[in-house]
Amino acid sequence: MSTIVIGLSLSFLLFLLAAGLTLVFGMLGVINFAHGALYMLGAYVGYQVALTSGSFWAALLVAPLVVAALGALMERSTLSQVYGRDHIYQVLLTFGLILVIDDATKLVWGMDYKQVPTPDLLAGPVELFGAMIPAYRLFIIGFGAAVSILLFLLLDRSKWGMMIRAASADPDMASTLGVDVARVRTGVFAFGAYLAAMGGVVAAPLVPVELGMGFSVIIDCFVVVVIGGLGSIRGAILASLLLGMTRAAGYTFATEWVELITFVILIATLMFRPQGLFSTKGRAA
Amino acid sequence: MTRRIVGTALMGLVIAAMIVAAWLVPGEQGVNLVSLILVWALFAIGFDLVFGVAGMMSFGHAALFGVGGYVATNLMVFHGLDFMSALAAAAVGGALLAFGLSVFAMRVSGLFFSLLTLALAQMIYVLASNRLRHWTGGLDGIAGVPRPALLGVDFYDNRNYYLFLVAVFVAGLALMALLRTSPFGRALRAIQANDVRAAQLGYNVNRLRQSAFIVSGAYAGVSGALLASLMFYISPQMLHWTTSGDVVIMAVLGGKGTLLGPVLGVALFELLKEELSQYTQYWYGLIGLVFILATIFLRHGIAGLFLGRGDEGKGGSS
Repeated sequence: MSTIVIGLSLSFLLFLLAAGLTLVFGMLGVINFAHGALYMLGAYVGYQVALTSGSFWAALLVAPLVVAALGALMERSTLSQVYGRDHIYQVLLTFGLILVIDDATKLVWGMDYKQVPTPDLLAGPVELFGAMIPAYRLFIIGFGAAVSILLFLLLDRSKWGMMIRAASADPDMASTLGVDVARVRTGVFAFGAYLAAMGGVVAAPLVPVELGMGFSVIIDCFVVVVIGGLGSIRGAILASLLLGMTRAAGYTFATEWVELITFVILIATLMFRPQGLFSTKGRAA
Repeated sequence: MTRRIVGTALMGLVIAAMIVAAWLVPGEQGVNLVSLILVWALFAIGFDLVFGVAGMMSFGHAALFGVGGYVATNLMVFHGLDFMSALAAAAVGGALLAFGLSVFAMRVSGLFFSLLTLALAQMIYVLASNRLRHWTGGLDGIAGVPRPALLGVDFYDNRNYYLFLVAVFVAGLALMALLRTSPFGRALRAIQANDVRAAQLGYNVNRLRQSAFIVSGAYAGVSGALLASLMFYISPQMLHWTTSGDVVIMAVLGGKGTLLGPVLGVALFELLKEELSQYTQYWYGLIGLVFILATIFLRHGIAGLFLGRGDEGKGGSS
């Protein structure tokens, strides 16, 4: 039972991150290498807010907004300068951003790792089907599920979602129809940063907040989007579940090999279904 | 066209001047810096065959670089092989690994290729730091990597080893110049410009891309072995993703798709690192900033300045 709960909580954490990555890709056609750095930044800002205000919930509310604002600034000052060019330049810029964000974080918070305490409300274990489960894990599952439903509604049903889909399908036509495409792009990038930072704050009580945390996560995210098929939120959910559950099973049954499981899944997927498990489109990105 | 020839000649002069100047400066400081530049330049030249000429952005070249270094180190330290054979083995090792990686990574293209090379290289880094500890020395690395013993010269003297590195660098550069102007190099450029059209003309696009990756792997392997013996030391840090990132930065700063641009990029990178790290521990972030500015404002890198390519010009990849 606890394996399933841990697996589900890992899956939803991964999904929060992969969703932002996929969203930005769908809109800008760019894989944001700095997504992991934004996740790390979210965790650090969350740590700061939690420390100052004494409340985890304030951190969950404020930190993503702060990082989203920074994300908007980054998109305006760097990415928006090169949209007319080959996608390679945009990817390169997001790579450059990693180095700057990492060192800026080091400058502000130093080298040592930080810890964010689990909120009191969720600190204890809960009994579920005869097993003791940390309440915080259950919270992650509920929170992640709620966010994914909201995300679906936002993209599929709302006017904003329609604007985003229009602007990514045909930017010229959308702008003729009165959509401010530049603003939509900034908005989507900021929203991706928001989701990444939210993932960072939610993960903060579980893992040490440290400089390397962004990179180890981003690799898992990349694997999720490659397996799930980029641009597909549905694929991202299923691939996150696949990866999270296998990881949790790995922790329980084959601790020695857990760090390699991700890669084995990746390679197996590539050999048998290079276009991704849930993608109908080709891979000519 | 003449602008191109003059520009390339000027770049060559700058590089030659750098090599000679380092030798003329008494003491070891200049020689040590340029030794490092030459080794990384060899890596960057090979990388740019994939990145600048064939148009595939690999984010996993650290794996080829590090494994080359480890192959040579293991053969020399644990099996007593001589330096030149170990260097050749590093080239073969790099090429073989490149072939292995390409089997997986080339099932996808475009940005997915970047993601996959990154993920596969990360897998090798994880393996090297944990599972293969007896082979890699784990996170501690392996110290005491030897240098060549040729013609009775003492290559443990840094000034003598410098001459050896210059010779290898010039040979590597000449070979790459030949490759790039050969029908093979032209076919790669055709693929970068338009792979569908190149395939229609009868080129085996996948085979050519794979060949470029393998050649690049051999270059990475040799330069990795040279770096290990320059430092007398190797650790899994060479396999880390930042190494892959560094060579991308170098190629872009210098000017991807040109023969000599990446060499200048390496020189600028190492100079910046050397100077900045004396004043601040945040030099890597500052290099990131320089890199961002160069990507936005200097699309063709330093080579663009020499070759007179404006920002509006063509020459971008597709």
